[in-house]
Amino acid sequence: MAAPSPAESPELRPAAEAPGARHRGPLAAALRAFRRDRTGMVSLGVVCLFALLALAAPLLAALYGKNATEHYGQDTPGLLSPEGLPVLPNGGMSGEHWFGVEPGLGRDVLAQLLYGMRTSLLIALASVAVIAVIGVVVGITVGYLSGAVDRAFTFVCNVLLAFPTLLLLLALSPVIQTRFVGPRENEPAWMQFTVLIMVFSAFGWVPLAMVLRTAVRSLREREFVEAARAVGASRRHIVFRELLPNVWAPMLVHITLAVPGIVTAEAALSFLGVGINEPIPDWGRMISRGSEVFYDDPTYMVFPGVAILVFVLSFNLLGDAVRDALDPRTLR
Amino acid sequence: MTGYLLRRVLQAAAVLLAITAAAFGLFYAAPSDPALIACGPKCDTAQVEAVRAGMGLDQPIASQFFDYLGGLVTGRTIADVDGSPIRCAAPCLGYSYTLHQPVLDAIADRLPVTISLAGGALTVILLLGVGAGLVAALRRGTAADRLLSGFNLLGASVQIYFLGYVLQYFLVYSTGLLPLPQFVPLADHPGRWAAGLLLPWLVLGFVNAAVFARLTRSQMLETMHDGYVRTARAKGLGTLRTHLKYTARGAAAPLVQLLGLEIGALFGGAFITETVFGLGGVGKLAVDAVTGNDLPTVVGTVLLAAFFVVVFVTVADLVVAWLDPRVRLT
Repeated sequence: MAAPSPAESPELRPAAEAPGARHRGPLAAALRAFRRDRTGMVSLGVVCLFALLALAAPLLAALYGKNATEHYGQDTPGLLSPEGLPVLPNGGMSGEHWFGVEPGLGRDVLAQLLYGMRTSLLIALASVAVIAVIGVVVGITVGYLSGAVDRAFTFVCNVLLAFPTLLLLLALSPVIQTRFVGPRENEPAWMQFTVLIMVFSAFGWVPLAMVLRTAVRSLREREFVEAARAVGASRRHIVFRELLPNVWAPMLVHITLAVPGIVTAEAALSFLGVGINEPIPDWGRMISRGSEVFYDDPTYMVFPGVAILVFVLSFNLLGDAVRDALDPRTLR
Repeated sequence: MTGYLLRRVLQAAAVLLAITAAAFGLFYAAPSDPALIACGPKCDTAQVEAVRAGMGLDQPIASQFFDYLGGLVTGRTIADVDGSPIRCAAPCLGYSYTLHQPVLDAIADRLPVTISLAGGALTVILLLGVGAGLVAALRRGTAADRLLSGFNLLGASVQIYFLGYVLQYFLVYSTGLLPLPQFVPLADHPGRWAAGLLLPWLVLGFVNAAVFARLTRSQMLETMHDGYVRTARAKGLGTLRTHLKYTARGAAAPLVQLLGLEIGALFGGAFITETVFGLGGVGKLAVDAVTGNDLPTVVGTVLLAAFFVVVFVTVADLVVAWLDPRVRLT
């Protein structure tokens, strides 16, 4: 280890090392380290705020008095010009419509943003849950078994990693959709969500499984695993009771950083026109619509663009803070 | 090294074969009827059947796949919608019934745009990412380091489809500092080629540079304290010289590996960038193919992109093995 540089003042070191601090295990130490990380706490606050806004979207929309689907601009004269552009400056921002109205259809931007967050978060969290389960089970099992299973796993990972992800996501979602929905049918909303979650999960588990495989490969040579084996523990016991509790740190870091990745991939798909369809509010599609009228009404795109930026930024910062808290060796 | 090279190339070939099978299976096994889509809504039953036979869709999937593989190696003849034979030269990626030309030709027409875009962006990534990472590592803990890590964070979080429009609005539309992004072939006019692609390069490069800056910084910091670097310092080499000559080489391996893997992400980013700036490259072709249900083109573009990724990953692995002899043993 290097000598600490002047920038690293003593209070930045993990609290567990401080004199007089009681040892309460790695989790408590990590929590204490995390609480001292001001950036981490702020980003956690922003992330929680986002989640709260998404959860309370119907309530907030009711208080605000608008919903995400009504075409206010077309129903109320004086909001949109004959060309479909907002009459008021800054995208039609007013006391009635705080963030303005959508060009063309005339929906309320704030309501769409709130509900669009639900779309993004729902897809990201559901995909991450599936990814975590598949990645953990596959990664730990393969890491422990090695041999032919390991070689097969490496091969499958190489194949999956070589696919250009975005292009495949792009190509795959219509294919899966046609498998379950007839060509003339209108696909139900839950179907679009399921398809996207399936597509993201199908590829998202690979990096997590690879990280856990590496972690387990070094863990399985350690004494405690050998001891468990010596007293006759079953494979299942060793994998789930001995190895799993030791890899939650890399898992947590990976999962935190996977959420913004999925949110942006989903927005990118919708931006390219193969994600979530009308009338379900979606940030990516808002940007796509905004790009069509960008020079006439730039305000409309700024809201979803900044929303994605802030969301991804705070999740990235949160992921860094989680990593730093769990792994004191991280060089900063 | 020869043994490692041989093994690695064989592995790459196996991965490519598996990818071809997977892509082929995924799309041709899809229940939507490719013959009906290829023929269009105006076709009668007989015409659809003719197209089905022409596409080989009446054959079992295995034999279709071997036909496709055979076409990749030796080329083959495919019947068009009206039954006229089309010669599709090797490597034949199939025939697009929507565009009425072999998929490879359609890709080849648009490939210069995507290659120019990705190549320029890669240069930006290397200059910006590795440069920023080196500076941040050597000036660790200073204001420069913090500023650079702030930029990295921004680059890692901002999206092409937002940054692209915002920069275009300010640099092209409001101030006219840059020309409107467009593609001029390099051979026609190198100056206008570069000018037209400058903004797309910067956007795609900036967004992807963050990962490299971060990895460069952490790798440099880690390697700086290795024994051999200390030895180099101890025998009297200057700081900068030591770090550029010894630390950088030790730190390079993971970077080269990341570079190989990033090619896929770069392609994905190039597709979005093309859409944002209205450049008609392979990405636009792929997006149009997906929305227009043009299956042969979809499979063709997926395969081509996967081919590039596999080649780059393999080359990166070989470079890593050359840089770090320990890798060859595993």
